[in-house]
Amino acid sequence: MAQKLKKKTGGVAGIWLDDHDCVVAARKVREAGFKNFDAITPFPVHGMEEAIGIKRSFIPYVTFVMGIVGLASGVALQQWTSATDWPINVGGKPFMSGPAFVPIMFELTILFAALSSVAALFAICKLPKHDPPVIDPALTSHKFAIFISENDSGYNAERCEQLLKSLGAVETKRLSHY
Amino acid sequence: MAVSETLSSPAQPGHFVAGKGLRTVYSVSIFLGVVLFALALYQDHDRAWHGYLSSYMYWTDLALGGLFFTALQHVTKAGWSVNIRRICESFTAFLPIAAVGAVVLLLGSKHLYVWMDPEVVAGDAILKGKAAYLNTPFFIVRMVVFFGLWLIFSKKIVGNSLKQDHDGDAKWTLKNVPLSVAFILVFALSYSLFSVDTLMSLQPHWFSTIWGVYNFAGLFQSFLAMLIIFVVYSMKKGWLRGLVSEDHLHDLAKFLKGFTVFMAYIGFSQFLLIWYANLPEETIFYLARANGWWMAITFSLLILKFAVPFLLLLPRWAKRTPNHLVMVSVLVLIMQYVDIHWMVFPNFDPYEPKFAWQEIGSFLLMGGLFLWSVTNFLSKHKLVPIRDPRIAESTHHHVAY
Repeated sequence: MAQKLKKKTGGVAGIWLDDHDCVVAARKVREAGFKNFDAITPFPVHGMEEAIGIKRSFIPYVTFVMGIVGLASGVALQQWTSATDWPINVGGKPFMSGPAFVPIMFELTILFAALSSVAALFAICKLPKHDPPVIDPALTSHKFAIFISENDSGYNAERCEQLLKSLGAVETKRLSHY
Repeated sequence: MAVSETLSSPAQPGHFVAGKGLRTVYSVSIFLGVVLFALALYQDHDRAWHGYLSSYMYWTDLALGGLFFTALQHVTKAGWSVNIRRICESFTAFLPIAAVGAVVLLLGSKHLYVWMDPEVVAGDAILKGKAAYLNTPFFIVRMVVFFGLWLIFSKKIVGNSLKQDHDGDAKWTLKNVPLSVAFILVFALSYSLFSVDTLMSLQPHWFSTIWGVYNFAGLFQSFLAMLIIFVVYSMKKGWLRGLVSEDHLHDLAKFLKGFTVFMAYIGFSQFLLIWYANLPEETIFYLARANGWWMAITFSLLILKFAVPFLLLLPRWAKRTPNHLVMVSVLVLIMQYVDIHWMVFPNFDPYEPKFAWQEIGSFLLMGGLFLWSVTNFLSKHKLVPIRDPRIAESTHHHVAY
């Protein structure tokens, strides 16, 4: 366990009491050349994605592709069960009955797309995280933090602390892991 | 009042001016429409009235869509949509004309509805059984009640919003909430019956319990498309600078995409149950739409009213690109006409779709009147309800990734 924790990256966190100040600070941190930093806020803050420079997620493409896979699976499943492996005449309809297959095609599209999106989210966010360090308990209610990771280019704990302070952080904290 | 004036001082909207081009478009449309409709009447009464009904439903749906969407925003206390709400409200300016149009429709109703002919009813057991509902006096009473209610609600809901432009009092916003709740309840019932009366009773033997919902789905889908066109037009003219951004378009496009799916979902639900049960009394509707080119039109609804717009609205950039959105909206609006035409015209000719100058005439007439009434409303009032308490929320509207 101890060894596992060491593998995680530490860094410096600055804490703000105002969401707008935090967004302004995030933009400045990005302009200072940092890439590997994050903001921790109790609620979604408008403009934060742009301020940090977060790129769009690729999850929508996962959703789209898996939706199509789901649709195709729906066709294949019903074609196999209703028309190939065990054809049964239902109400005099053809074995391959397009309209009758649509509800299953629709449901499997949704099922594949939705579950794959969640799975992709878990994978890229490395969820579940069971032991994240607590920077400050108040970050879930009324405080806002920017965390700069120690593996960022040009990282220097002192320099980062100074930067965050100069951007109006009311407090800075060094964390051994995050 | 205090809220709107302390939170921010948003940009002032430009004044909507119906330019020379726009005025020419609607004047020529109305003039040509009257001439062509008169000629069509002279040539073939039945055909002219079927064309009139199609166009009438098409443009009335758009006007009702404006009122419904406005009420929806009040009921949900939506903030993001405040800056585009006036354009929705402007569509209701066509409602009085639609009420007059209903009277005109009554003049031609004998050419549309067989159940209005006592001789036909006397020799038809099914129509005799439905005569308690499907009879001319009750039809007129229903029309009067529907339009009476819609006009009262639009006068009240839109009127409160216009009053707020003058005094900036937040009470008008609060007053609109119960009014809108009441309207949505009234609308659900009245519009369902309205669509049953005007469209479903064209084939009085046939019935579908989802008919009202299907018509509503088309109404809302086409309304959103028309709204997007008006918003983009006003944006390009620079009248909404600093007030409406591509973030608003993004949400409108999400709405359009959502209700494109909804339309297909309801349309398919209606078809699936009828196809499965395969009862002759129900299948007549689809059989009349499976002859010759009607079959192609039936499939075009699935492809061009659902699949193509859905895929074209899927990517994020598509929802934020005004020209692209206008293109999709035009497609949806064309297909909405095809949809209504598809509901109406097999009644006139079940073997061959008919569309020529006779139908274009009534479409231009109604469309010209719609454009005239809506632009007239917009040029008389502020383009944005600038003193709404939620104006700041809408002005700073932002769509996250």
